[in-house]
Amino acid sequence: MKMLEIKNLHATIDGKEILKGIDLTVNAGEVHAIMGPNGAGKSTLSNVLAGRDGYEITQGEILYKGENLIDLEPEERAQRGVFLAFQYPVEIPGVSNIYLLKAALNAVRKYQGLDELDAIDFLTLVRSKMELVKMDEQFLHRSVNEGFSGGEKKRNEILQMALLEPALAILDETDSGLDIDALRIVSEGVNALRDTDRSMIMITHYQRLLDYIVPDYVHVLSNGRIVKSGDKDLAKELERSGYSWIHDAPEGVGA
Amino acid sequence: MKQLAEIHTAFIERADDVSLLNTPAVNALRQKAKAQFERHGLPGKKQEDWKYTSLWQLGQEQFVYQAVETTLDAETIDRLALVTGSYRLVIVDGVFQPELSRLADLPQGVKLQAMSQLDADIADQLNQQIDLEKPGFNALNTMLFSEGLYLHIANDIQLSQTIELVVVNSGKTANLAVHLRHLVRLENGAKATLIEHYVAVDDAATGLNDIVTEVALAQDAQLEHYKLQQESVTSYHVATMAAHQAEGSHWHNANISLGGKLARNDVHSRLEGEAAHLTMSGLYLVAGDQHVDNHTRIDHSVANTSSDEVYKGVMDEKSHAVFNGKVFVHKDAQKTDANQSNHNLLLSRGCEIDTKPEMEIYADDVKCGHGSTVGQIDMDQLFFLRARGLDEVSARSLLTFAFAVDVLERLPSDEIKQALSTVIEQRLPRGAKV
Ligand SMILES: Nc1ncnc2c1ncn2[C@@H]1O[C@H](COP(=O)(O)OP(=O)(O)OP(=O)(O)O)[C@@H](O)[C@H]1O
Ligand SMILES: [Mg+2]
Repeated sequence: MKMLEIKNLHATIDGKEILKGIDLTVNAGEVHAIMGPNGAGKSTLSNVLAGRDGYEITQGEILYKGENLIDLEPEERAQRGVFLAFQYPVEIPGVSNIYLLKAALNAVRKYQGLDELDAIDFLTLVRSKMELVKMDEQFLHRSVNEGFSGGEKKRNEILQMALLEPALAILDETDSGLDIDALRIVSEGVNALRDTDRSMIMITHYQRLLDYIVPDYVHVLSNGRIVKSGDKDLAKELERSGYSWIHDAPEGVGA
Repeated sequence: MKQLAEIHTAFIERADDVSLLNTPAVNALRQKAKAQFERHGLPGKKQEDWKYTSLWQLGQEQFVYQAVETTLDAETIDRLALVTGSYRLVIVDGVFQPELSRLADLPQGVKLQAMSQLDADIADQLNQQIDLEKPGFNALNTMLFSEGLYLHIANDIQLSQTIELVVVNSGKTANLAVHLRHLVRLENGAKATLIEHYVAVDDAATGLNDIVTEVALAQDAQLEHYKLQQESVTSYHVATMAAHQAEGSHWHNANISLGGKLARNDVHSRLEGEAAHLTMSGLYLVAGDQHVDNHTRIDHSVANTSSDEVYKGVMDEKSHAVFNGKVFVHKDAQKTDANQSNHNLLLSRGCEIDTKPEMEIYADDVKCGHGSTVGQIDMDQLFFLRARGLDEVSARSLLTFAFAVDVLERLPSDEIKQALSTVIEQRLPRGAKV
């Protein structure tokens, strides 16, 4: 089954074109890695997929499970199983983590026609997911990401993903800022979520992550386009040689 | 269109009918206040303190003084009260309700009564904390107050149970004017928790509450003093809370305004003994065409006193809020530690905030800071919540709630904090439940 199909996607922000014709197909169960230089448009692509305001889609289409995603509000996408782990998770003082997790889970369950979990079942479920990412329970009662270290914020994103069990997860540089142990823990958490019904797009700058979470495909996004695709060996090649050897990279980008 | 003078006359004519505390000393005070009010009347916009709050609308009203009926059942009071299991003094439509109140079994040394039930002459305790010379509501209140709460706690008595003053507008008498004076005196080392709660049975209730609360804290006395103004959006509320703090005393004042057509609070403390400490916390939440105005004033008069003030506000639709906070550090008040802040959240284009934190410092060895902010819902936070599946209305509501309840974290009582948080959740602009 095709989970995601992006066809000739062009997107602008404040009149400036950032995505310049992206084509990408992700089948159910596949893990795709997207690499590419700073400013290439990787986070822009994630934001557009999650439905953030401020981008204008000037051409192309995005199909999620065959349904046109572009007309849906961010919450409608989330409820249907699209999940974005943010490159820079935002702090929300005054909203406790546990409140957020509950509200998010209930929003998804409501869409699926399920009842809210009662307090005990909810807590049992959250605890099992925290176990997965080795997060201490005290984080439940702290405000969302407030005062969290960089690595704790990233783990918190994966906790939310583990709880919500999305069909399509986009992980925007979840590995950056993680220490070596945390990288392993987060990767194991992500691997545990790999499933034939679940697809993942991992944006990363480092081959290291791909040693832990082995992708089915690797793409290079450069200057708003996917300029090269291959298997996991492509990432190793990039690690060795940078981006400059990619001949069809448009001018002005590269190492 | 009426001039303010007409409502002045109406108020003055009322003065002869007031019979509470009918002693020569109190009557002399009332006469003095009347003369003062005849001279100055209500403040106009030319007065600096009233620059952003017009009384024109109030001047158009025809208030009545006699409630048609003041009975309410106990269930209604239980429903309206903020906390359960406290001592309670209930005033409905300006009239003290002994059957609905809970004043029995007070510990030795605690005197808690309605003003109308007092046997002693308390004239010498009146107008100790307020300034009659200033045009405003102090003279009006002195002239017309006809009920109130009297609390006196003797040396070293620590009252652990909360006292809730419940002042209800039953809605049975349209445009009822109620003038109340409360006196709170804590002697050396005494301790108490008091809630002043102004509430309407429903949003159709109209009228004016004109309130003055005078607080005297002796050495090492501690008062947790909460005020919740939760009246209808069509009513007027004008209140002063003024305190005198002796050495080592702590006044913890929390002032929650859910607005009316017009709500004005003046909160003032004079720290006149070393090591006196003041905490002021405030929250105002307004929508529609409501107007809320908070003026606070803190006088650090002697050395080694401290104050910590945080006011937060949420405005929606066409509402208007005013915050004016003055902190005076007088010449001899060395080592004063004073902090003041005011933070505002604007939810729509039509609303307005005038904020002015001010410090006047005449001592040289002090630690003082102040600031104010005006902001909107953070777009990154909003997108994050929506990307986790919360619909836009719920997400906005949640962020608004989080902004507001932050102030409650400062309150020492968990029970009151919890109760206030529920009230605020229900009053959130846009009404969505979080
Ligand atoms: N509001 C804006 N106006 C103009 N340009 C913008 C705006 N927002 C983003 N951009 C530009 O869009 C380009 C793509 O940014 P994006 O965040 O998608 O890059 P990225 O590939 O995720 O980079 P990184 O690896 O550094 O995270 C950048 O050049 C950025 O400066
Ligand atoms: Mg990025």
